This record gives sequence, C-alpha cells and structure tokens, in this order.
Amino acid sequence: MKLIIKKLKKHYDYLIKLLLLSIWLVICITPILILFMASISDTAIFQTIPDLFSLEGTTLVNYRISINQGNFFFHLRNSLIIAGSALALVLVVCTPMAYGITKLSSRKAKSAVVFGVLSTRFIPYVVIAMPLYLLFRQMGLSGSLPGVIMAHLAMQMPFIVWLMVGFFDGIPGEVEEAAIIDGCTPFQIFFKVSLPMVLPGLNAAAILAFIMSYNEFLFGLFLAGPNTRPLTVGIMRFVGGVEVGAQYGVVAAYGSMIVVPIIIFALIVNRYIVSGMTQGAVKE
Amino acid sequence: MLKKYFKPWRFIMPGLILGLITLGVPIYQALKNSFYDIRLYRLGSEFFVGFDNYINLWNDSIFLLAVRVTLIFTIGCTILSIFFGLSVASVLSSDKIRGSLVARFFMAFFIVPFVATQVVTGVMGRLFIWDAEFGLINYLLNTIGLQAQAWLTSPNLALPAAIITNSWRLTPLALLVLYAALATIPETLIESAKIDGANEIMIFLKIKLPMIKYHIIFVSMILMTSAFREFDVIYSLTGRGPRRATNVLSLMVYEQGVSVADMGYANAIAFTMFLIVAVVTVIFIKIFKLGDVGVS
Repeated sequence: MKLIIKKLKKHYDYLIKLLLLSIWLVICITPILILFMASISDTAIFQTIPDLFSLEGTTLVNYRISINQGNFFFHLRNSLIIAGSALALVLVVCTPMAYGITKLSSRKAKSAVVFGVLSTRFIPYVVIAMPLYLLFRQMGLSGSLPGVIMAHLAMQMPFIVWLMVGFFDGIPGEVEEAAIIDGCTPFQIFFKVSLPMVLPGLNAAAILAFIMSYNEFLFGLFLAGPNTRPLTVGIMRFVGGVEVGAQYGVVAAYGSMIVVPIIIFALIVNRYIVSGMTQGAVKE
Repeated sequence: MLKKYFKPWRFIMPGLILGLITLGVPIYQALKNSFYDIRLYRLGSEFFVGFDNYINLWNDSIFLLAVRVTLIFTIGCTILSIFFGLSVASVLSSDKIRGSLVARFFMAFFIVPFVATQVVTGVMGRLFIWDAEFGLINYLLNTIGLQAQAWLTSPNLALPAAIITNSWRLTPLALLVLYAALATIPETLIESAKIDGANEIMIFLKIKLPMIKYHIIFVSMILMTSAFREFDVIYSLTGRGPRRATNVLSLMVYEQGVSVADMGYANAIAFTMFLIVAVVTVIFIKIFKLGDVGVS
C-alpha cells in the first residue's frame, strides 16, 4: 500500500511539474497568439477568450493595408540590408579579433581588452545613437545608410567578440600545438584548425547578432531617413499615442509579419540560440 | 610558445580599428558634446560651456525623476526576471525532466519572448494586453471578480506595467543561464542529501542556491545593464507615460536631443549613463576576475 502511494506521488510530482511548465508556456506565447488572431479578424478586438479563437470575420485586409500603405516589403528590404551588411563586416573582422584576444600573453593587455569589450557590450544605445545623430547631421548625411549601419556595427561588435572569445577558449591547446609542429602558419591554424572547431559557436553568434539587428528600433528611429527606415520604424506610423486611437488590426498584421518569421526562425535554429545565450552569459 | 608564435595583435588590429571608429568615436563625441551648448536649430554656432550641462542636471526635476524611474525599472525587471527565471529553471532542471525531450520542447518556446521584436512586444502590450477596455489583463481581472484598471494611463500603474512587460522579455535569459547552471549539479549530491533527510526546500536553499550563486550574480548584471538601457519596449508601450511615470533616462535623452533640440544636454545625460555602465562593468570584472579568462 505504502509503495503504491509512493509511486502515485512520484507521478503526481511529475504531472504537477508538467502543468507548471505548461502554464509558463502559455504565458510565453499567448500575447503573440492574440496579436496574430487580431491580425486576421475584422474587428481586431476580443471581448472573451472564445471570441479570440473564433474564425468568424476572418479577413486579410489588415495585411493588404500593411503591405500597400505601410510599405512592408520596402522596410523589410531596409531591415535586411542593415542587419546583413553589419553582420557580414563584424564577422569578418571580429572572429580573428576574438581569436587574437585568447592568444594574448600579457595579463594587462588582456584585462584592458576585456574592459573595453564589456563596457561597450553593455553600453546604453543612446550613447551611440545621440552623438552619431548629431555627427551625421553636421556632415549633411542624416538618414543615410552608413549612419545606421555604423550604429549596428557598434552594437554587434562587442557581443560577437565576447561570445567568440568564449568559444575559442574552449579549444584545447594541444590541437594548435600539434598544428605548429606540423609547420602551419598562425593564419593557417586559424582558418584550418581553430575556425572549423568553433563553427557551431560562430553560427550561434551570427544568428543572435542578426536577430538583435533585425529587432533593433532605437537606431532606426534616430539615424534612418525616409529611404533607410527598417521594419521596426515602419510599424510605428500605425500606432497612435496612448490617447489617440491606433489602427489595431493593421498594427497586429504588421507586427505579426515582423515577429512571426523571426520566431519561426528562432524555433528552427533553437539549438544555436540556446548555446549562444548560455555562452554569452556564462564565463566558462 | 603557443602565444608568442601567434603574434596576436595581427589578429586583433582590424577589429580594434573598427571598434575605435564605431564605438570610440560616438563615446568621444558624447563626452565632447556634453561640454558644449549645441542647438539643433542653429548648428554651427555651438559654444563651450564647461560643466554647465552637468551642473544643470542636478537642478532638473525631470532628470531626477528619470533617474528614479530608471532605478525602479532596472531593479524591478532584474528581480522579476531572476525570480521567474529561477522558478521555471528549477522545475525544468528537476530529475526526469532535465535533459529530456520534454525539456527541449519547453525550452524552445520559452525563448520566444526574448527573440520577439521589442517594439512589437511594446505595441502588443499597449493594444492587446494592458488596454483598459480590450486588454487581456483587465479581462482576466474581471473574470476573477477584480476591478479593471487603466494600466497605461494611470501614473501609479504605468511603470509596473512596463516593468512586467520588459520582464516577460528578459526572463528567458535568466531562465536559460540558470537552467544550464542547475543542470550541472550532480544528481548524486542531491540523492545523498535526500538520504540525510533534507526536503526539497532545504536542498534548494542549502545546496543548489550556493552552487549557482555566481551564475545568479552574473545574469543579474546582464539583466540590470539590459533593463537600464531599455528604450524600444518603453517607447512603444507607454512612451514617457502619464506624468512622466515611465520616462527612463534613455527616453529623456531622446526627448531632450530630438524634440527639445538641446544636444549638449542630451549628450551630458547619455555620457552620465555610459559612466554608470562603466562603473558597473569594473565591479563586474573585479567580482569575476575576468581579466584572467582565456588561459588556454
């Protein structure tokens, strides 16, 4: 009898835990679900929960407005150009940089670099955006692509360097020593031995940096002009003030088109995101 | 021999130069601008004012309020994210669940708030979650018989709503790191404690918590600096809020610089924010002796 109760209790524990996790899952995805359901509803407003899931009055008109009046694809193109070009440049320059940092022998130089990387990794973005806004305005280049991309480089660089230092540190020294004995030059070792070993880490870093740039709004608001505004700025024209009415349905459709692809992408490359986020925060 | 052989500066140089351009220039400009009187509407006629912008900060009630709001927002977000992150991570890392397919399934969805675009999170919160008439929160409150609230337009409730919204976004970070930390605690340690008669709460407080102490401090620092600089979520959720209830420093910089067009003052606030982060970073490095990383 005692044994049965114990067994029941064990399963009971397990089920309770699954229930708790499911509640958190609901908290995580319900807001996005509401946004999506609002985007395909003609009223875009829900009075009750069953209301939310009813497919009555389904419409695509909000999407049509987002794409036509909201220039969705134009802003998408800008977002991809900004995120893509910043990321490409950062990867080319910062991957070797991170590798070099792990090979520094002077402790002083190392702590200086670590301070530089960390203090800029946590830098408030207004500290980058505000002076650049003025600088590019003074040069008569306000709203141009280089300004926005420069800000995105500043945001991605410390993050990628920090992450890659962590991944390069994980390579056992013996592997590289063996390559030296085989007569490889430092650059050969970097490209043929070390880089392939951190490829999953590099993927993780690149994916996270891309998501960061795609989601970025502040730099777009400060530095982008009519021809360079990313998606995150594009949606704002349909959002009124708290007192002024917003176009609920259009905002929902526009927001869904921004957020659903990035979430699906994140679910697909989940493994890399988890490893990148963990590595980014943990020393070892 | 390994390190001498590599001549590491050759690898570092290109990145260092790019860093000096993209990060060094703005930081230097922020510092320089903060000593000038620069008005956007008459560019070219700026003049040196020394520490005037910084002195004015201390007599500016809007700035002092913004400091207070930023502090509450930062601490609130950090505490909430750590609390929920640690709670969920504890359940996720319990035996039979951790490392299993079930854990991987849940974890995939648990990071959704973190990757969701911040402005979308903000407008979603404003229109569908916290809205006084049609919002989910008020619907739930009504369902359990509580009074609906005008969340975003009430000076007392706008900041809590912003804190909860941003914590929703930041919790995955805490959850992930703390789960990774908890999952490394050997099962045998917990088993032997159980044999000694310790209950779940005792095990959590006396064994698990001390073992992940550093991870908690580390992730708190990241959460704090993240919340401290948050702009997107607040701008799109409440803006500066009723009676500037959610006017954090980042928003104030934007308002002073772009709307008031007082660039010198805006840069002084921005540079003050940078100094705060630099100090936090130094503390951070001291706690973790981060200068020593990379001993391979």
